[in-house]
Amino acid sequence: MIFSYNWLQSYFKKRLPKPKELAELLSMHAFEVEEIEKAGKDWTLNIDVLPNRAPDCFSHLGIGREISALLDCKPQFIIGRLAESKKNRAENFIEVKVKNTDTCPRYTVRVITDVKIKPSPKWIKARLKVCGLRPINNVVDIANYVMLETGQPLHAFDGEKLEGKKIIVRFAREKERIVTLDGEKYELNNKALVIADEKKPVAIAGIKGGVGAEIDKKTKIVILESANFDQKTIRKTSRSLNLRTDASWRFENGIDPNLTETAINRAAYLIQEIAGGKVTRGLIDIYPKKVLPKQIKLDLDYVERLLGVKISKKEIVKILKKLNFECNEEGVRYLIVKIPTFRLDITIPEDLIEEIGRIYGYGKVPSVFPISALIPPKRNLDIFWENPSKDILKEAGLTEVYNYSFISEREKEIFNYSAKGDISSRARHKEEIIEIENPVTVEQKFLRPSLMPNLLKNVKNNLKYFKEVKIFELGKVFKIAKSKSQGTNLTEKRMLTGLMTGDAFYQIKGIVDLLLNKLGISNIWYDEYQPTPEESKISTWKPKKCAEIKVDQKEIGFLGEVSSKILEDYKIEEKVVIFDLDFEKLSRLASEEHEYRPISQYPAAIRDLAVLVPQWVRIEEVLNKIDTVAGALLRDIDIFDIYEGQELPEGKKNLAFHLIFQAKDRTLTSKEIDVIHQKIIKALERNPGWQVRK
Amino acid sequence: MVRNMLKINHQASKRSEGKEENEVLFALKTLKKEVQKEIEKTESLKELNEIFRKYLGKRQGILTQILRSLKEVSKQKRAKLGKEANELKNFLIIKFNKKAADLTEEIKKSTEEKEWIDITQPGEKPPLGHLHPLTLVKREIEAIFQSMGFSVVEGPEIENEWYNFDALNIPKDHPAREVLSLGKTFYLKGGGLIRSHTSPVQVRYMEKNNPPLRIIVPGKVFRSEATDASHETNFYHIEGLMIDKTVSAANFKAIIQKFLQEFFKKAVKIRLRPSYFPFVEPGFEVDMSCTVCAGKGCSACKHSGWIELMGAGMVHPNVLKNGKLNPKEWQGFAFGISLDRLTMMRYKISDIRLFHSGDLRFLYQF
Repeated sequence: MIFSYNWLQSYFKKRLPKPKELAELLSMHAFEVEEIEKAGKDWTLNIDVLPNRAPDCFSHLGIGREISALLDCKPQFIIGRLAESKKNRAENFIEVKVKNTDTCPRYTVRVITDVKIKPSPKWIKARLKVCGLRPINNVVDIANYVMLETGQPLHAFDGEKLEGKKIIVRFAREKERIVTLDGEKYELNNKALVIADEKKPVAIAGIKGGVGAEIDKKTKIVILESANFDQKTIRKTSRSLNLRTDASWRFENGIDPNLTETAINRAAYLIQEIAGGKVTRGLIDIYPKKVLPKQIKLDLDYVERLLGVKISKKEIVKILKKLNFECNEEGVRYLIVKIPTFRLDITIPEDLIEEIGRIYGYGKVPSVFPISALIPPKRNLDIFWENPSKDILKEAGLTEVYNYSFISEREKEIFNYSAKGDISSRARHKEEIIEIENPVTVEQKFLRPSLMPNLLKNVKNNLKYFKEVKIFELGKVFKIAKSKSQGTNLTEKRMLTGLMTGDAFYQIKGIVDLLLNKLGISNIWYDEYQPTPEESKISTWKPKKCAEIKVDQKEIGFLGEVSSKILEDYKIEEKVVIFDLDFEKLSRLASEEHEYRPISQYPAAIRDLAVLVPQWVRIEEVLNKIDTVAGALLRDIDIFDIYEGQELPEGKKNLAFHLIFQAKDRTLTSKEIDVIHQKIIKALERNPGWQVRK
Repeated sequence: MVRNMLKINHQASKRSEGKEENEVLFALKTLKKEVQKEIEKTESLKELNEIFRKYLGKRQGILTQILRSLKEVSKQKRAKLGKEANELKNFLIIKFNKKAADLTEEIKKSTEEKEWIDITQPGEKPPLGHLHPLTLVKREIEAIFQSMGFSVVEGPEIENEWYNFDALNIPKDHPAREVLSLGKTFYLKGGGLIRSHTSPVQVRYMEKNNPPLRIIVPGKVFRSEATDASHETNFYHIEGLMIDKTVSAANFKAIIQKFLQEFFKKAVKIRLRPSYFPFVEPGFEVDMSCTVCAGKGCSACKHSGWIELMGAGMVHPNVLKNGKLNPKEWQGFAFGISLDRLTMMRYKISDIRLFHSGDLRFLYQF
């Protein structure tokens, strides 16, 4: 909110610190002053009054009170003396009815006659302008002026336009219409509170006045309203009409009901002085439940314990008194603090401790290390494996990216994901992806069910600058599960997904092997990819170039080349190979246990073996056959060449292995090795179409 | 010449032995000088080898022949002459070896001279990947807090309204909830939301753990905002929470100052300003002296000398209650800091959107 420096100054006899110094003082002890600007002879301070202090500080008086506490000097605020008429009583001019006092806890009215509507005097105009309000006429300006001064919104009606001389505070009827002062039309619902005369609504309560009873040049009798409305009611109406005003803003945050009287008397006084009005006798005041000051018992030891600094009782009492709190001692340790009703934010001892702390100055609170048990931090096994996994992939040449957790409608279509309400998903009972109720852009409409869509976007964008893209991401993916667990069926889990461009299936597979080995996971194998029925139509993967990654019998992820259809949709012209690992499963399998295997003191012997097999034979099959017959003396097998070519018989390929023989307890003789080698050859050749090359 | 002399010697051997003896000695002396000279002049190993063969060759070597011819000399003289000849032979071998070593060294030197490389030619780097700057800075922050006994904890990204708002003392119809919920929080169709801060983990952690508590919670958070160089819809928070019997604002100051000093690796000043967050009371805004100008005022700190860094405060008793802790028994501080912000400060990154761009031109720099 914008405040006028001169206005604030008017509450003090003593000269205030210069605007910049005053701003610094307020920033350090009350609210951040975001901007100071010169405005003619005045200065404006843009003060970020936080919502909890809106009730008392959306006003020059409120900020004046803060300043007075910080500078320790009393503010001067004089309402002014009303010269009430002796014969004219307010009740003779208007009858007020409040239908529901929960939504309108207080409604005060004053009636002023003989008013002359004309432009406001210069000083009022100047202050309104500095604070960003446009002057209209003296009565309306005074209502606004008093709002800026006290924080209480006021409204003025033309007494002769109110039908039946009545003010009725009631809920609107469903679809009741009102035209506001700026000419906008609104249709109300039955939860909106209105100020009405006998026939029609003349204002949306606490938000904006309507045409029908407005002040105009001819107005002589002013009905001045100063009311208190329920926060929630005003907020709901303001939201549903999408209409926010200076008044609604204040009511939404709550105002002290005791303020209406001060404000209305102040405004009446100004109308009397400036617009020549005669204030009728009496204040019409509908206020069934008077709000009284609360009391809080404050434990002085707790003040010290929470702030970490010892402030003397004398000082504490002084601070609280400066803020208009009344203090009574109870024993040595306690204070009973009476809270003025305008401090709606103070409800518990901690609130008072904040007041003490900020006025005393957080700058004077020392830095003291806590005294605490020397407990080492716990290793978090849920996240421990993230760092090693990222490091391994980085060392393997992949670069880490962070992507948005969202995907677009288009990506949903490319990958054929289903969302709630899709016809296809209902038919197939597929897992569904989660839609965002209020996305910022269409690009961010769904929560990602996989890291792949955004990684492919990265590929597309980076191929403009790089020949090759090798990236990974570790992040959460989201789905609607078919069954609920812990009350929700929205699920999230971490995935670790990486990719490379190029015809690089075996490279990416090597990276997966490396990763799993380094994480201490053994028994890794690769199984045929089994597409689910609905996947078979539009698959993510190239049909014969993908695999399930398995550890023992458990599937932990997928590996393969991205289907040409998807690459076309992304306009990627390179091949892309991807691994997609369930990181939750990976974390559970990972282990730091690792045992050293003694190096044999006896030499290893290497024999080469080349075998010609039909093209469709898998290497694993050959390895398994060798393994079963070789026994423990065959320590290792390395495949060092795979060849398919013209020199070979049609439909055959040549596989060449190094067989490494070694015993733990002796040097193997070549005879021993020959025996095993022959056994292997025999076993291999037992297969039709297999031929060991000698 | 020497060879001729020796031949003469042979023929003369029978005539006068005394005279012969002197002649042989003389010949050996001449031979010594001659060989030495030849060795000295030699410029290649090959030449040296030839010279060696010429004089010390197993068959044809001149000195070898002399030694062999001594068989014919009388016994008394043989001893003396033999000794002289053998000494010469050993002397020459040493000379040959020395020269050979010198020549080898020279060759090595000259070939090394020729094997020139351009040391300014760029090296061939093994193809390593890169970690994201947010990962790097997150690790650093975790390490600093872990060294002060804080455990690293995480929480779900899909939240419900209870943990994201109510449990944090932001009830429905509270103005603060409206600021966060209507404008800033992403709601999910079919209920739930994605968390707008990491604070829900405070309550989740309190529910399941007994104090004293010391945790930090790094994590992704989501705000429904128009993006620009300093606003994103996806970003990262690091929440901190310390609960014990007497943990105070003074303790918060010490911990956070220590953290900032470790992180920025220089002395920093901090200041607390009053602020308002429903889940703390008192609430603070924490400013740090500008690391660029050391508080003198520069464009990085908008000439204030201070940089606004985080929100913090003493945990509100309602939050402790919602975490099933007794506020009469336990108290503590909580803070929330933007990981993106710290990372931007660390590397002088001026646009927050780079983090989620996936742009390798950016990522390859880390």
